[in-house]
Amino acid sequence: MQFSDRHRGEGTPTEPDRGGHDHEGEQEAYEQRDAPAPPAEEPTREEPAREEPAPDEPREADATESGSTIQKPFAAAVMREPGQADGYEAEKLRGAHAREERARSMAPPGGDVNDEYRWHTGTNRPTGVPDAVEFVEVHKAFGRNKILRGLNMGIPEGKISMILGPSGTGKSVCIKHMVGLLYPDDGDVLVHGESVPNMRDDELFAMRKKFGVLFQDGALFGSMNLFDNVCFPLRQHTDKAEEEIQDIVARRLREVGLEGAHDKYPNELSGGMRKRAGFARALVLDPDIVLFDEPDSGLDPVRTALLCELIQEIHEENGGAYVVITHDIMSAKRVAEHISVLWKGRIVESGPAEELFNSDNMFVRQFLSGASRGPLGME
Amino acid sequence: MTWLAVPRDWLATFGEIVKFAGRVVGDVLRLRVLRFFGEALRQAGVLILSSTLVIWGLIFFIGLTVGIEAAYFNRSVGSPAYAGVFAAWADLRELIPYAFGYMMAAKVGTGIVAELGSMRISDEIDALEVMGISSIVFLCATRLAAAWLVLPFMYLAGIGAGFFASYLAVVQQIGEVSSGGYFLTFWMFQNPTDLLYSVIKGMTMATAIVLVGCYYGYNAGGGPVGVGTATAKSMVLNIVLVHLIGMIGTQLFWGANPRAPIGG
Repeated sequence: MQFSDRHRGEGTPTEPDRGGHDHEGEQEAYEQRDAPAPPAEEPTREEPAREEPAPDEPREADATESGSTIQKPFAAAVMREPGQADGYEAEKLRGAHAREERARSMAPPGGDVNDEYRWHTGTNRPTGVPDAVEFVEVHKAFGRNKILRGLNMGIPEGKISMILGPSGTGKSVCIKHMVGLLYPDDGDVLVHGESVPNMRDDELFAMRKKFGVLFQDGALFGSMNLFDNVCFPLRQHTDKAEEEIQDIVARRLREVGLEGAHDKYPNELSGGMRKRAGFARALVLDPDIVLFDEPDSGLDPVRTALLCELIQEIHEENGGAYVVITHDIMSAKRVAEHISVLWKGRIVESGPAEELFNSDNMFVRQFLSGASRGPLGME
Repeated sequence: MTWLAVPRDWLATFGEIVKFAGRVVGDVLRLRVLRFFGEALRQAGVLILSSTLVIWGLIFFIGLTVGIEAAYFNRSVGSPAYAGVFAAWADLRELIPYAFGYMMAAKVGTGIVAELGSMRISDEIDALEVMGISSIVFLCATRLAAAWLVLPFMYLAGIGAGFFASYLAVVQQIGEVSSGGYFLTFWMFQNPTDLLYSVIKGMTMATAIVLVGCYYGYNAGGGPVGVGTATAKSMVLNIVLVHLIGMIGTQLFWGANPRAPIGG
């Protein structure tokens, strides 16, 4: 926990106030995110940085270098001062329908309608905190199927980050790269500055102790009951007395609302219970980085909302970098502090959640509003 | 040259299996498995409780069959008192190892593939890895260690079951030789070295079956269908290996020397 403790509380001025669970306030925040683009005279924070990238912004520079030739002009286009937009255009930006229309009518930034990366600005809005995990020009293919194609992405320390993107775009593959279950064909993955692909086996196993992972279905061991499942990491990795282990596990299970299900086996639990049990197991070693692979899949909206609240509560209590992979926009609105939008193996845009929800990028707008019309189709 | 693709794939898979098996055996021999000795003991318990009776049962039936054939064959050549020779050789050298191998492949090998395969497709193996636990040591090396702990005793007891069954068939059922006469020739035509060779044959089969099961289960993919396919493949390979090991063992241990008190 040393690393995360070092950076905890270094939030930027752009970091939203996430204290407490004021749902009215939360709702208000969501409405603001859903609202149309800011008026033309309202300045945005990141503009100057886009115009003149500072030398200490390697990620953006990387993205620009690695991207297609159309990236620079498009980046300039989408990062244009709203004040520079004409009045008619600004008016049209109000409302989701108008945004869709604009997406349809908008010429591709590079002028090439066949360029599949014309929406990928690779823009990485600064968060003000160091990255816990970094992807540097990562390529990964399974046979002929190229999943990651020059991915540059940072997961900021101490925040709840979300990796959003259409199905099959490489989100779960990202998680597996972070913990060294998959290695990149090219490029590098850094966890707290250390290269995962270059680690020896013993270093890799030691590094993995920094992580807690909640798999899609919980991935509980079928041969153990719930209590033993959650005890397992403590029994394997600590010298704690059995009594202490049982106290910790009982507390974790109470936190996730499973105090009455200690003796149940995974096949006796509902999908939501398995996810919560997996969450308890992921947290039991107080990891620095917690990864959630589609925690909302297969859950009803109420359970999803409750799970999101739980993630926020536990994050407030424990801190660390949380990474949530999902394509559920409501979940993103609920918990995300930082968002990376991934499509076709590259980042379209990433940055603080409220800035992404107000992005000018047509793909980001379409995806975060769940609109059917826009750059993303059924292909 | 597409016809070369199939044997090339077989060779590649064989190479992968050998590499995987080497790693698992290395983890046991280098005692890394002791870190999970509790799990190895649990697997040993599972093996004893779930497989012992069925293995002994099959060997018993084979022993009965051998006894009947021994009695009638020896009567047909005018030497019914020598039924013990037939039973001693057929039981100890061939049929008990084969019966043991068949049931190990069918019960233990496929069980391992199905268990590890379902763990693979439900992300349980990945979960182990991200907890900083070597899944190969925890899942495969512990199973091999458990097999090595339990199976020699199970095999020896299985030999006892086979011998008892042959005795029942020859002496009690057919009854053309006395108990003393049967045992005279029965023990004369085998010795402790033969027993050791038989155990080596059986344990080699068991080791191969466990390793093949671990390989196919650990590397299963493609959902439940993939696990089913992996189970079938492991069964095919294990049956082939059982016969290959049986043949090589017989050639090696008794091919040049019958190890019997007979001339020539």
